[in-house]
Amino acid sequence: MSTARTAAVPGWLPAISAIARNTFREAVRDRVLYLMLAFALLMILASRFLAMLTVGSETKIIKDLGLSAISVFGLLTAVFVGVSLVFKEIDKRTIYTLLANPVRRWQFVTGKYAGLLSVLTLNAVVMFAVLTVVLWTYGESPAPLVPAVALILVELSIVAAIAILLSSYTNPMLAALGTVAAYVAGHLSWSFELLARRIPEGSGRGLVRVLSWLVPNLDRLDLKALAVHGVPIPAGQVGYAVLYGLGYAIAVLVLACVVFERREFRA
Amino acid sequence: MGAEPVVELRDVVKVFHGHLGFGRFVAVDGLGFEVRRGEVFGLLGPNGAGKTTTLKLLLGLLRPDSGSIRVLGALPGEPASLARIGFLPEQPYFYDYLTGEEFLDFYGRLHGMSAGERSRRVAETLERVGLRDRARVALRKFSKGMVQRLGLAQAILHDPELVILDEPMSGLDPVGRREVRDLILDLRARGRSVLFSSHILQDAEVLCDRVAIAVRGRLRHLGTLDDMLSRAPRWFEVQVAGPVPAEWTGERRSAQGELTLIRVPDVEALGRLLAAVPGDGGRVVSVWPRRESLEDLFLREVGVSTEAAGDRR
Amino acid sequence: MSRIATCAVLAAGLACAAVGLAGLRAAEPSPGSAELLYLPNGRHLRLASSGHASLAADAVYLWAIQYYSNYERSDRHQYVEHVFGTVIPELDPRFVDAYALGGMILAIEARDLDAALRVFDRGIRENPADWLLPYTAAWECYFAGRPALASRYLDEAVAKPGAPSLIARNRAGMVERAGDPRAAWRLWKELSEDPASDETTRAVARGRIADLQQRIDLEDLRAAIASYRAAHGRNPRALDVLVADGLLPAIPAAPDGTGYRYEPDTGEVGAGATRVLGDR
Repeated sequence: MSTARTAAVPGWLPAISAIARNTFREAVRDRVLYLMLAFALLMILASRFLAMLTVGSETKIIKDLGLSAISVFGLLTAVFVGVSLVFKEIDKRTIYTLLANPVRRWQFVTGKYAGLLSVLTLNAVVMFAVLTVVLWTYGESPAPLVPAVALILVELSIVAAIAILLSSYTNPMLAALGTVAAYVAGHLSWSFELLARRIPEGSGRGLVRVLSWLVPNLDRLDLKALAVHGVPIPAGQVGYAVLYGLGYAIAVLVLACVVFERREFRA
Repeated sequence: MGAEPVVELRDVVKVFHGHLGFGRFVAVDGLGFEVRRGEVFGLLGPNGAGKTTTLKLLLGLLRPDSGSIRVLGALPGEPASLARIGFLPEQPYFYDYLTGEEFLDFYGRLHGMSAGERSRRVAETLERVGLRDRARVALRKFSKGMVQRLGLAQAILHDPELVILDEPMSGLDPVGRREVRDLILDLRARGRSVLFSSHILQDAEVLCDRVAIAVRGRLRHLGTLDDMLSRAPRWFEVQVAGPVPAEWTGERRSAQGELTLIRVPDVEALGRLLAAVPGDGGRVVSVWPRRESLEDLFLREVGVSTEAAGDRR
Repeated sequence: MSRIATCAVLAAGLACAAVGLAGLRAAEPSPGSAELLYLPNGRHLRLASSGHASLAADAVYLWAIQYYSNYERSDRHQYVEHVFGTVIPELDPRFVDAYALGGMILAIEARDLDAALRVFDRGIRENPADWLLPYTAAWECYFAGRPALASRYLDEAVAKPGAPSLIARNRAGMVERAGDPRAAWRLWKELSEDPASDETTRAVARGRIADLQQRIDLEDLRAAIASYRAAHGRNPRALDVLVADGLLPAIPAAPDGTGYRYEPDTGEVGAGATRVLGDR
């Protein structure tokens, strides 16, 4: 063996992409993922039969079911894979060998997130492809649904970031609960806004207003109903939504990196 | 061996707190030692001595509450110094969804190796730890010995200057332990420094240039084995066939048929015994000079009497 | 990662998020209903469905179809209006099929046109660009014996974008059935003269104009004869007398050119020819 020294610190991009690829492989080789994906695909195909029960437009229920399946299964994956990502490394102690290498902690967290995001994207693409095929058998184009799927991915990227943040800090059970709570609160963000308008001027109102900006405004990322009815969606809206999702996810991820930086590994 | 230390600890203290601030456990209490370049250093001690905690402090996985630590001249956890260190944790566990090759390739990337260099080194290292023909097997199918060997591979993949091993022999069969031993000796032969922690003393006796013995987070002994053990008392064990001279019956240690083992405290008493045995009709079969082993020293420090230890041959 | 870099990235992320959310809020000031705190049933469901309101609407719709297909159920019409007129619209106000089905169940089976129209009206309100609902509503009115109301719905339907030309014809016909042949005649005339009308419409219009013309003429004639009789106590000798007396501006020319027959003894008028050649 050569005696040449290889004391190289990896650049941030190779480090992040190495961890991301690993995370992706881990998820893809996990049988649970396939079970969930299979179930989602089954749902989409089953909707074809449900359509026979309805009166009127048959494809509405297929599109609704398809989009909701992509959203729900994406959410389940983001939560359950996401919260265990960091925890598993710590619990199984693979984190020790990993961090004894010249990888910075923020690169580790970002790499995990990137891996998770790529799995979510792949899932969404596969499910959308199946939905497209089903719609083609009715002679309909899936094109109007594309913005809705894009925003579902934006929503998932926010949820995934929250899952990773919580996972860097606590055990999977609490992290999952916290993430689901954030998701539900996110879909009720319109109630915060409304409440802010009804509360009389004062500190209470200010607080609720602040909360309405802090909580992830997930209900504003929901274009499913519009897409299903073929209502045209302005490109500006999609643009703002993507900007929002990107910014929010980055901010949460930075928090996760900071939390993880301070973490000590006892066991 | 070079004079500048690759590892330097001074008065390091690490305290763990229980949940919500209740409970306080002092893992490392004012520990200090040095590891010199090119030496094999053993950090020994019973369970709970703070060995693993110390190693984690060296790697920046934990931060000390007080004291100073320098590794390869830098603070622990600096990527530039981590790039020159290899680490194998205790009871390692690796991503079981990867194959051996993929695993090492991943770590190669984390060391900034180019693709060509990676594949070369991965192949070389697998060969060196004897896993080349299992390169494509998924890690979930690895036996414990294979996991340990892969862990070593990961530690030396990038040819580090300092290799830190936490209980490297644990759970290995004698063949495995021999292999690890040879690897460590090989590393020393190439001028690398090795720091390992263990509670298996025979290995330390064979491998280490210097050892530190820690008990409950405190340093008890530090130095070369010879230094430590030469101060230890010596005695003799004499095996006698036939009747034992009266003066010595109290010193019998064991009996087997007509053979009796007798403990003799010093040279002068030995002379008397050897003279007395033929007179009573017995015959001296063998004489064994003994000194306190590392185990004896160890057990003494840990507070177990050496009387029982001396019973064994 | 250095403190500065961390803060910079965090700030950048928050800035993007703020800009994005501001843009989204500017586009649609308040998603969902404005009257939050009254919470009738549909809104509960909307809350519970947490982002899957449209799918929940489908679920309710499917359930409702199965439920209302069960003809043995007694008082099965009790909640139709609630389900189709309140619950489903709360979840998915654009679900046109649901309004249509609910309205039809109420009109046809429950024979409650007013409830049906309430459902239809809600659907029309929420879907201003839809022609199907006012059209369906119109026909339910017609079958319930309210052609005047039907024609008002058809007026609405005709104005919707993409309304098929059929609707305009239906409207004119409906007005006729409502008993206003003159208005109908005007509508048909408009249709026949409108350059946007297709061939079918024009052809039908010509036929209707001729028929209506005849009907109107006969009405006018009968009305004039009746006035003459009231004034003079007997039927006029011939139709010219009516003109001479100023009861009619002129003797109307029959569209088929054969003139109107008049029987002085009975005082009856009718179309000129009883047998025709060709199609007129």
